[in-house]
Amino acid sequence: MSSVAGGFAYFMPAAQAAIEATGQAIHVTPSPSLLFTPTPTGSAAPTAAPVTGAFTVLLLGSDDDSKFIGDHVLTQSMILVRVVPSTKDVTMLSIPRDLYVHLSTGGYGKIDGAYSYGGPGAAVATVAQDFGVRIDDYIWIGLLGLVKLIDAIGGIDVVTSNPVMDDYYPADILSSWPYDYERVAVLAGPQHLDGLHSMQYVRSRHGDLQSDLGRSQRQQQVLIAIRQKAKHVSPSDLPVISQALGGELKTSIDLPKVASLLPLAASFDNPDQIRTLILANPYTHGCGCPETYVTANWNLILPLVHQYFP
Amino acid sequence: MISRLLLALALVVVMLAGGTSTYIYLGSKQTKVSQAPLKPTATTPRAAALNLPGTLYLTQRGAVYNLSAGRFHQLTSEAGYMQPSLFPDGGNLVIVRQFPTYSDLYVMNRFGGLVRQLTDNAAPPRAGDIGANHWSFYPRMSADGQTLWMTYDGLKCSGCYDVSLAVWSMPFGGSIRQARAWTDGGYYTGGDVQPIPLPGGGIMYTKYDYASNIDYRLETKLVSLLWFTNRINSVGRRLTDPGADCRSPSLSPDGTQIAMICTYEKQISYLTVASWNGSTIGPLKTVISDQLVAQPTWAPDGSGIAYLAPGVAAGEFQLWFLPRAAFAPPPPPPSPSPTPGGPHNGPLPTPSPTPPAPPVKPIQITMYSGFDATSTMAWAR
Repeated sequence: MSSVAGGFAYFMPAAQAAIEATGQAIHVTPSPSLLFTPTPTGSAAPTAAPVTGAFTVLLLGSDDDSKFIGDHVLTQSMILVRVVPSTKDVTMLSIPRDLYVHLSTGGYGKIDGAYSYGGPGAAVATVAQDFGVRIDDYIWIGLLGLVKLIDAIGGIDVVTSNPVMDDYYPADILSSWPYDYERVAVLAGPQHLDGLHSMQYVRSRHGDLQSDLGRSQRQQQVLIAIRQKAKHVSPSDLPVISQALGGELKTSIDLPKVASLLPLAASFDNPDQIRTLILANPYTHGCGCPETYVTANWNLILPLVHQYFP
Repeated sequence: MISRLLLALALVVVMLAGGTSTYIYLGSKQTKVSQAPLKPTATTPRAAALNLPGTLYLTQRGAVYNLSAGRFHQLTSEAGYMQPSLFPDGGNLVIVRQFPTYSDLYVMNRFGGLVRQLTDNAAPPRAGDIGANHWSFYPRMSADGQTLWMTYDGLKCSGCYDVSLAVWSMPFGGSIRQARAWTDGGYYTGGDVQPIPLPGGGIMYTKYDYASNIDYRLETKLVSLLWFTNRINSVGRRLTDPGADCRSPSLSPDGTQIAMICTYEKQISYLTVASWNGSTIGPLKTVISDQLVAQPTWAPDGSGIAYLAPGVAAGEFQLWFLPRAAFAPPPPPPSPSPTPGGPHNGPLPTPSPTPPAPPVKPIQITMYSGFDATSTMAWAR
């Protein structure tokens, strides 16, 4: 019994953090627009689907620095991930943050604003209705959360595709003045990145001709690297990781499902079975207007999405 | 009564010990994934390090170390040093020191002392634009010691977002005003990096460009290419294909081979070698395909290639050495031929087949160090 108590004491901080972060209910904001009522999805009433079946998760990454008020943050990164356990296939589809869409909260706007208007429910509902996919769960992580997560697992190995140079990178985390800039130089090639440099690599877009699209490719590289490193993490590391992530991660996935997903994640060992999709030209077009909207070619996007996210 | 009290006390002690032991045991089961790497000087390199010729310079967390006679020595503090490169006579090093908003080049002696500053890339004190700072990386000295080659972001315009690096040459001891851009750095590509002045003239470097700029049928995706040019501002010539995605060239001491890494637009990094005749590259030959290889560097005697790669999957980068025999096996010994008119009579004995040589594998020199994988290494005789 005393051993059980010792184990309980060891894992209690992790369990507490996990309970706070996981199993978040998705509150879908009803659309005031009759035309675009959110499609009821599994996310609205999450069910404990068996992990043997395919499932789709929406990954959301946000600037959550002091420029923003509370949970009203933009999602700088939106990645749909479909996992098929039976075939061990993973598909990642990056959604451009500037994509001009019908928001589930009503009206039109950039898709990155959905979260700021209605939280994760609105982000999930917007993606579900516009892309015609069923989303089972979401995972949201803040800037500092990603930095701390990568540091907690000891950094990641990434082949950075090109020198990422940015003279006006936002100095908004670990800074007293969130509107300041810093210079970033992430040199190219295979390297071991800590959290801060990983963040710089996935977040910088000024020096990329493809802007957000180029950044999306880098985000997918880092996600794959995190998954690769996570395979070497043991349950005994969870207290350290949960402590690092405190308040910077939220998910609708409940604890039992998290537990059942861990061995599943470890079994995906073939990187060639991770398919990455980017909605570049001709799927999307930059309008060149001051608001930097990206317009969607739904005639091409929807068949692609239905192929990989049936 | 006393015995019951003692029993209760004993139980309490056992429970405390049991609980605490479990807690400590679980803590001890933590993996070492987040453990910081050790300084190279705090560990003993593998015995194979004793066989490495000369002195190898490399960096960990911004500190310069050398490996000589099987032992590491720390030459500087952790102060942003990276990318050491040797003077032609091997006497000094040119090295980058990176600060938060700029980097400068310095001459460093072989004991880690700074001899002189070569660039002054910090923005003027009253500059209101952070973009007025500059980066210099990947320094190299020409064979005659008169010219400093580097990559430098001197072509950017004020307030612009394109900070692509270009290859520049500068008279050694001169100022940045005397420097000249040899390449245009591309347009929003990251630029041209890692120049290598070639013995026969010209430079080889790594160019980052969109594959669709090379061949319009290819995807608009950034790739790395080995490039050659022998005239300032000339377009130059592509040496490798966009699909191979090769970078980090290192010229063999005799100038006949190039070691590089090729990533094939994936999260892989193969150690690759190719022949080189001064202007043309031969077919690429993959030498290592199961490691994430970085910074291949030829031994000064040509006996092999040192490189950095994770010691364990997804881990920090360690020092490895690949003996030359792994990719250029020695020719088989000539089979003895019978001497005409010799003493032998009767049928010739069938020569026994030579047993195949065991495959030569890479040797891991360090286990727990974690070297800077974007920092080139310098190897002196």
